Amino acid sequence: MKKIILVLLIVLPFLAQLVVLPFVNRIDPIVLGLPFLQFWLFLWIVLTPFCTFGIYQLQKSQGGLD
Amino acid sequence: MQQGNLTALSITICIILTVVLIGFLAGRDKATRSSVEEWSVGGRRFGGLLVWFLVGADLYTAYTFLGLTSTAYTAGSLAFFAIPYSVLAYFISYFFLPKLWKVANHHKLTTLADYARERFDSKLLSSLIAIVGVLMLIPYICLQLSGIQDTLQVAGTGFINVKVVVITSFFLVALYTFFSGIKGPTYTAIIKDVLVWAIMLFMVVSLPIMHFGGWNPMVDKIVTEAPQLLTIPTEGPKGIPWFITASFVSALALFMWAHAATGVFTAKSADAIRKNALYLPLYNIVLILVVFLGFIAFLVLPDGTDPRFALLALIQTSYGGIGQGLAYSTIALASLIPCSIMAIGASNLFANNIYRDLINPKVKGAKLTMITRGMVFVVIGLALLFGLVFPQALVSLQLLGVSGMVQIFPAIVVSLFWRNQTREATILGLLVGLAVTFTVYSTGTSLGIYEGFWGLMANFATVVALNPLFVKKAKFSTNDVKDYLFGRKSKEIDLVRKGA
Repeated sequence: MKKIILVLLIVLPFLAQLVVLPFVNRIDPIVLGLPFLQFWLFLWIVLTPFCTFGIYQLQKSQGGLD
Repeated sequence: MQQGNLTALSITICIILTVVLIGFLAGRDKATRSSVEEWSVGGRRFGGLLVWFLVGADLYTAYTFLGLTSTAYTAGSLAFFAIPYSVLAYFISYFFLPKLWKVANHHKLTTLADYARERFDSKLLSSLIAIVGVLMLIPYICLQLSGIQDTLQVAGTGFINVKVVVITSFFLVALYTFFSGIKGPTYTAIIKDVLVWAIMLFMVVSLPIMHFGGWNPMVDKIVTEAPQLLTIPTEGPKGIPWFITASFVSALALFMWAHAATGVFTAKSADAIRKNALYLPLYNIVLILVVFLGFIAFLVLPDGTDPRFALLALIQTSYGGIGQGLAYSTIALASLIPCSIMAIGASNLFANNIYRDLINPKVKGAKLTMITRGMVFVVIGLALLFGLVFPQALVSLQLLGVSGMVQIFPAIVVSLFWRNQTREATILGLLVGLAVTFTVYSTGTSLGIYEGFWGLMANFATVVALNPLFVKKAKFSTNDVKDYLFGRKSKEIDLVRKGA
């Protein structure tokens, strides 16, 4: 289970910021004053550190860090 | 060129001189230049926050601000490729930098080329990596140079001789770098980063209000008048495939730059680096807003404005003397301080991995430290020479910088995880990668994909295909770095050696 979450957390930032770009490449809807593409990129500036933090915690709990 | 503003110019020059003074004061203590390790990576004693400032100062340069706004001005949302690029660069760095730092710390290494030499027992590979690093870094220093030159030109036309001031300021930077080593740019980096955040946020809040009556009216105006700016082009030579591959390859390349590696090696622990990987993406919030400044420039500035001056012209038309002065000095510092770190990175490569590994292997101690420090003048001098005398000759190298740098990724990063990666396959992969990148670039056959991507694919393919030919030797040989990374397999190897 932990392994699946780990893989997911690693893959997610790449999927969100590279692979899905053709689908978020649009102006509408405007969210928080940002056109959608810009909002999406902004969102992942904030979410990527959470993925990293999750990975950090998982590795720590498994004693993989020193 | 329009006449500059005297108040703005005086503020800019005052701030530059103050920062240069602090750069010198940072090196009061003689210990800062007592050895290569002290001078170039601060004896590896910097905590998380200091590394954050240093790496931030390092990577967000005058060129970032001027280049991104001018890309936004001419090519719209293609400029946003910088966002996934730098967010992913830090994310990827989480997985390899702590390990690389540990090896470097344990074996007292100060450059990436040092690591490659020890990992593969190959001075050929280390000097190749150093040559690529220096060759790509000098044009990058030139970019910083043209950044400050443009800024002073806008600020000081009619008052000063821009070239003389540029040469003087770079000489001062070289001098304080020679004197204080990495301590100089670190302390001044804090001032620069605080100014960058304050000024960029101030501009992002005030400019939409001044020109459009607020952020939302501005966005509405872009949506109705210039919607093409807001999405990535779906056709044309640079579209979504370019955007994706450029982001990805640049993300892999970021920490291959000598100045980025220098910043990382100053950290005092692997955990400081992990924390940095966590927090550095937040720096990009500034970046996304800077791209919008380019859109404002597009709507506000008259047609025919040179895109290179988009941000500077926007500042000039929007603010009075004090506002202009603070903005110009921010950009000037964003050019001078990274320059100092880049010069340290390049000097270090040159002295350790070209001069020592290739020309004079016996050099060490005080003499090597002196040569490393002295190289600062050579590196900055070369950048000045090329930048002022042959600005056109460097354009290709600047464009190819990232694509060239990423080719050392297999040698530096993959080798941390793949025990049986061989020296021969790695060297050939690096050469094939460089050759393919340059060929694709010069023949214009990139097919809408980032040049470096083709090079890197060829590089990987070469390493994987040729590795089995040489793997026998690598499998049964070991060295300190391999032992450190993969644990000792001595029993097995001893048996083979004895011919058992």
